[in-house]
Amino acid sequence: MIDKALAQKVLSAALRTGADLAEVYVEDVTSLRLALEDTKIEQAVRGADRGAGIRVVFGNLVTYAYTDSLDEASLLDAASAAASAGSGSAKSQVIDLTARKSSLEYPILKPFDSMSISDKAALLSQMDEAGRAYNPLIAQVYGWYQEISRRVWVYNSDGVAAQDDRFIVEMGGGVIARKNGTIQRAYSGFGGQMGLELLDKNSVAGHIQRQAESAVRMLDAKPCPAGDMTVVMCNGWGGVLFHEACGHQMEADFITKGSSAYTGKIGQQVANPIITAIDDGTIPGRRGSLRFDDDGTPAQRTVLIEKGVLKDYMWDLVEARRAKRASTGNGRRESYRHMPMPRMTNTYIDQGEHDPQEIIESVKKGVYIKSMAGGQADISKGDFVFNATEAYMIENGKLTYPVRGATVFGNGPKVLMEIDMVGNDLALDPGMGTCGKTQGAKVSVGQPTIRIPKVTVGGTDEPVSGAIG
Amino acid sequence: MTNYLKLAQQVVRQAASDGLEVEVIITQSKETEIRVSRGEVEQLSQSGSRGMGVRAIDGGRTGYAYTSDFSDKSIEDTWRSAVELAQVATPDEYRGLPDPQPIPSDDLEIWDANLVNVPTADKIEVAKRVEQAALNYDPRVIITQWCTYQDSIDHVYLANSKGFAGEYGRTTVASFVIGIARDENGMTNAFGLGVSNYFADLDPEAIGREAGEKAVSILSGQPVETQIGTVILDPVVGAQILTALSQALSAEAWQKKRSFLMDRMGQQVGNDMVTLMDNGRMPRGVSSAPFDGEGVPTKATRLIDEGVLQNLIYDSYSARKENKQSTGNAQRNGHRSTPALGPSNFYMQPGHLTRDEIIKGVDKGLYVISVMQTGGIDPVSGDCSMGANGLWIENGEIVGPVGGVTIATTLDGFLNNITQVGNDLRIVPFFGAIGVPTLRLDNVTIGGTKKQ
Repeated sequence: MIDKALAQKVLSAALRTGADLAEVYVEDVTSLRLALEDTKIEQAVRGADRGAGIRVVFGNLVTYAYTDSLDEASLLDAASAAASAGSGSAKSQVIDLTARKSSLEYPILKPFDSMSISDKAALLSQMDEAGRAYNPLIAQVYGWYQEISRRVWVYNSDGVAAQDDRFIVEMGGGVIARKNGTIQRAYSGFGGQMGLELLDKNSVAGHIQRQAESAVRMLDAKPCPAGDMTVVMCNGWGGVLFHEACGHQMEADFITKGSSAYTGKIGQQVANPIITAIDDGTIPGRRGSLRFDDDGTPAQRTVLIEKGVLKDYMWDLVEARRAKRASTGNGRRESYRHMPMPRMTNTYIDQGEHDPQEIIESVKKGVYIKSMAGGQADISKGDFVFNATEAYMIENGKLTYPVRGATVFGNGPKVLMEIDMVGNDLALDPGMGTCGKTQGAKVSVGQPTIRIPKVTVGGTDEPVSGAIG
Repeated sequence: MTNYLKLAQQVVRQAASDGLEVEVIITQSKETEIRVSRGEVEQLSQSGSRGMGVRAIDGGRTGYAYTSDFSDKSIEDTWRSAVELAQVATPDEYRGLPDPQPIPSDDLEIWDANLVNVPTADKIEVAKRVEQAALNYDPRVIITQWCTYQDSIDHVYLANSKGFAGEYGRTTVASFVIGIARDENGMTNAFGLGVSNYFADLDPEAIGREAGEKAVSILSGQPVETQIGTVILDPVVGAQILTALSQALSAEAWQKKRSFLMDRMGQQVGNDMVTLMDNGRMPRGVSSAPFDGEGVPTKATRLIDEGVLQNLIYDSYSARKENKQSTGNAQRNGHRSTPALGPSNFYMQPGHLTRDEIIKGVDKGLYVISVMQTGGIDPVSGDCSMGANGLWIENGEIVGPVGGVTIATTLDGFLNNITQVGNDLRIVPFFGAIGVPTLRLDNVTIGGTKKQ
């Protein structure tokens, strides 16, 4: 997008006031989004975003300026704006930019343009028909299709020259079911870093019928009881719990600042020994996968927790420089308008030993969470909350009836020590996760079925009485 | 300097043809963002950007395309792409651009002409004062996270093939900080924030103090036993519930059958203390604008009046479906998206009681300082549950911190069980600008430890 000579010139300009490091990040993104609701294709949106961000590091200070234009004059203007915080003269030089190569392959078998836009729209209409045909209680069906082609280039004055292409496709749908005064909805998506081969492996009709089944079943749900309970969480998307409640606290910016509960805990027991947790930016087909991160560092697999012991955090370039160590390839940004920060990629709790059925059977009284909206956690204290969208009471080892309005509230670091059963059914989510740590980042989460022996569950029903677990 | 309104009109002329309606938006902004930590600037970002979005409506079918590249070729590709995408959409007779209406010229006080002249050093000073105020509140406030000052000088230019052409400028200044407190039992955090149109209206000390005070107040919070009781909601907490109500009060949500309030127009849906307004012309309202995202003048709309459901918010599409007038609530999130129906400045009318008077009136209950929820407040099903931290009240006095509990009601329960409304209306910029005073709410399930 910009040649090496221009990159070199811009970096030299950015270094002229005495910076330690200068970087130019260039991005070219095109996207297509189609949305259906009320049986109509209501949105057909095409976007083009192109620009560059210049980042300059002076000790602990990081300055940034971006531009929508990639001509030499605009890039030099941005470099000069970013350099203006410095007051010295050039002390670093641009090391020769040699393009880095990645051995990671994320094949695209069927490019996005191998299917016409109207055929993509027709898939949404199929989804609509299948959803409505499922049951007369289905009052509304909505669906979306999105493809993003994102090409990025990173050059920095330490000699980094990296390029990455990220092709993300996603399809999703939801329904609203209505009976008497009760309304329930269910929605989900699927996708990944791949081409339209996504559609060969997934049936849109099957997908929406599963949502319809869930929403209709939840119409008859009873209010969830409130109080401390045993909770069993489903595999796959259930991994959002680890992502929110523990993963964020292992991001280096919270560590270097001292605001994370995991600061200074490397080598210590932070989880039940049955737990191993991994962040892996190199899994083909996953939304969080990268060849190079947005700092130009190669993506890698990082073991965060091994058999309960904290092994490492997730680092980006700036935080790694602060700590005088290597980045783990977790520097990510939403766009050229944003500075990178440490972010997760594909993060999951590893395979355990228990049969998932055995885990449910072990519970005398508790809640089984089959699906949920995303989660939220606070840094430092590590409390997390998530709201179940499909949940069932477990009584004497059996799922008995659906419950609505269940909120699970707990403390991440504490729950990690307490999880006492991990299933042998590890799965990553279906591919619709976007993390919103002030900027959006495409991620995957995952886990096997897990059991939390005691956690606070909120609901509107009378408190539960009786034994826990 | 490019005349962007002329450019927008020119693109409209190029793209429009018989039977094809076209609307062009151009946004231009200049942004500053400063983050400080331990008294030093950690991040400083200053940039300008612009973008163009083209909406084409061909026989009720809508296509949209946007670009940040203003070369002739890119602009032509963009409008051609919008026209082409319209062929994919389903025809809908209610889709169309609104007829141009005169835009009232009253001063909404959303433009701080001086902001452009404020030196970066003064903005850095604001961020540093916010951090200092958080740290100075109490020695137990140990650090701040994301202590940020940001501002934006925005211009919007909108033109369409029905003859509308309008522009306005708006300035936004905001500061945000998370205060992190620690005691022997662990860490807590809370945020402070402020947002306004004018640099001088920002109160750095108040923003920092809010974060410090709230974080310290909930240190060592313990769950209470599970019970049904009274809660007092801080405005920051109430605003999260009002966000869901604003979604349930959109005409689109009703037409698409996704509101728990559906089919209850004219009925009593809440306690008579509850009056909810949407006002896109509120002076110094952070979501105020002379016209909405499709060129319709903004206005004040009374949605719930003393508990009675009176109106909904409309854009021109949802209004045409019901043969009504748009309330000027088509919102745009920059140039990257089509106009979408949403609240502007959405708020609950304040009452007469101070926060302390409300606390004094509670025999036993939870004063909720902060909540966490994701999808727990659902405008479709009306479910309303979240994780909460706060302070326990007994006999009108705060007796200690509470943490690790859930609070649950329904949105119907919320509207009907509000028994006191404070006089301290505060606008919180979540999704739009959502305003609510301190509220007392009864009959809420507080989920904590097992009943002894």
